[in-house]
Amino acid sequence: MIQIESLQKTYRSGFLMIPKVALKGVDIHVPQGMIYGFIGPNGAGKSTTIKVLTGLLRKDSGKVLVNGFSPSDVKSRRSLGYSPEQPYFYDYLTGRELLTFYGRLVGLWGAELNSRISWALSMVNADKDWIDRRLRTYSKGMMQRVGLAQAILGKPELLILDEPMTGLDPMGRRDLREAILSLNKEGVTIFYSSHLLSDVESISHRVAMIVDGRVVREGTVDEITASCGVEYHVRTLETLPLADLPEGVLSAGHPQEWICKDGMARDRFLSFCLKSGISIERMDHQRPSLEDILTQEIVRAES
Amino acid sequence: MQSLSNIGVIALNTFRESVRDKILYNIFFLAIGLAFFSILLGEWSVFDRAHVIKSTTLSIMSISGLLISVFVGISLVQKEIQGRTVLTLLSKPISRAAFIVGKYLGLLAVVAVHLSLLTLVYYGILWLTNSNPTVDLLQAIYLVFCEMAIVVAVALLFSSFSTPVLSALFTLGVYIAGHLSDQLLEQVRFVRRMGEVEGTQSVIMEKTAIFVHAIFPGLYRFNISGYVVHQVALPHFYLLWNTLYALGYIAVFLTIASWWFSRRDFL
Repeated sequence: MIQIESLQKTYRSGFLMIPKVALKGVDIHVPQGMIYGFIGPNGAGKSTTIKVLTGLLRKDSGKVLVNGFSPSDVKSRRSLGYSPEQPYFYDYLTGRELLTFYGRLVGLWGAELNSRISWALSMVNADKDWIDRRLRTYSKGMMQRVGLAQAILGKPELLILDEPMTGLDPMGRRDLREAILSLNKEGVTIFYSSHLLSDVESISHRVAMIVDGRVVREGTVDEITASCGVEYHVRTLETLPLADLPEGVLSAGHPQEWICKDGMARDRFLSFCLKSGISIERMDHQRPSLEDILTQEIVRAES
Repeated sequence: MQSLSNIGVIALNTFRESVRDKILYNIFFLAIGLAFFSILLGEWSVFDRAHVIKSTTLSIMSISGLLISVFVGISLVQKEIQGRTVLTLLSKPISRAAFIVGKYLGLLAVVAVHLSLLTLVYYGILWLTNSNPTVDLLQAIYLVFCEMAIVVAVALLFSSFSTPVLSALFTLGVYIAGHLSDQLLEQVRFVRRMGEVEGTQSVIMEKTAIFVHAIFPGLYRFNISGYVVHQVALPHFYLLWNTLYALGYIAVFLTIASWWFSRRDFL
């Protein structure tokens, strides 16, 4: 569905055309049927990558294929739906008129167009009275819903969403998550960027993390978090003297709670407890969150 | 086929967008006001009243068409870019050339409606003042439309890569150069013949005038008010040749605009 290899993009701005490298060799492969999250801090290159995919920006170098075609080829967009970050539309139209306009651009007319609009609106939970009001009266959340509705009107095989959760209240985010999952069940591949890492963790099959124009982590959420190490949190029934602790075991701030930094430390601690006749009350493993890993990567890139 | 359909959809939307523009109505009512003012001009003039009304009204049509192209046309593409509506639009399966052509046809439709309404007012004034409202005046109005079709393409070309203010200045420049290039060439040749300028200077002057005459669309060709007002027959196939001439320039301008627009990045 999406194939990006060694993608580079430089912006030139100002009178002196000072270059700023936005993408420094991005590699991403999104297979069919996947929900693919794309995360990173502001200015990391998420929107730039998405705009190259949708043909709005031209790449400097590298290989980019969308639905098997170059983004500069109109064919790449025949089965593509896209909703930009903070979608802007013709505010003199009503929501329904706007969807009619976009529907015609993807080849829908007459009864088919009307039924597709109804389907898209129900999918994003926007089949309400306000859809027949002028867009200039819409809230951010309503605009996001209309933005997603126009993106799915043509029943695309690939849906690209740039920060779709922005501006949505908790109900709106839930509706959007459900819409994404529902579309994915129908076979739609979804590539989306987001700042809301909890949402990304909960619905993405795979995730790419971009920092300073480079993809620094890629894989399933489990793969990414496991690769950054797992801590084991242990609670004992009895207290332990700090001086006797095996290597790699730290106090968690409570005389009966301990942190084993890795699997080896966990094993050492368990055998120590067994030998000392100390009972284990509870043990669980704790992985770093995507947010922890992203923060680490940002610090690393800045340093 | 889908591409043609998309051009039509964009053109219709452009038309709907343009007719909501208040500037359009200001220009339209100004043109109507000036058309009625031509009755007074006819009364005050030492020339034949009907001739004055006819030639003045044809000039009003041309200038109001120019104003629409400049004040409505040049902002069309910029509005899409600055309003970021272009992001969603160009992510649909439409080429950038289809976008440019759709915008062009939408604005041209606005100009066509404007000229059609002015034509009704024009004939109304001629009928009211018993100024011999003949059918051949439509030939002159048709050529004003052809002229505006070129001016709209020029406005769109400049707006595809420049700011609205610069686009307006460039478009006005082309309009003026297009109307004066013929006279400029004649004047330079006359001056040269009379020997007022000699040597290298005269050669440079003539070459410059020939270049200006060749490169800018000869908009003076579309002003036939002298023929129709005085009821002089037009040369054979005049309308046909000038229609083809206009189509040629429009094709060139839209091709350049599409090429330029397709190279643009949209942030």
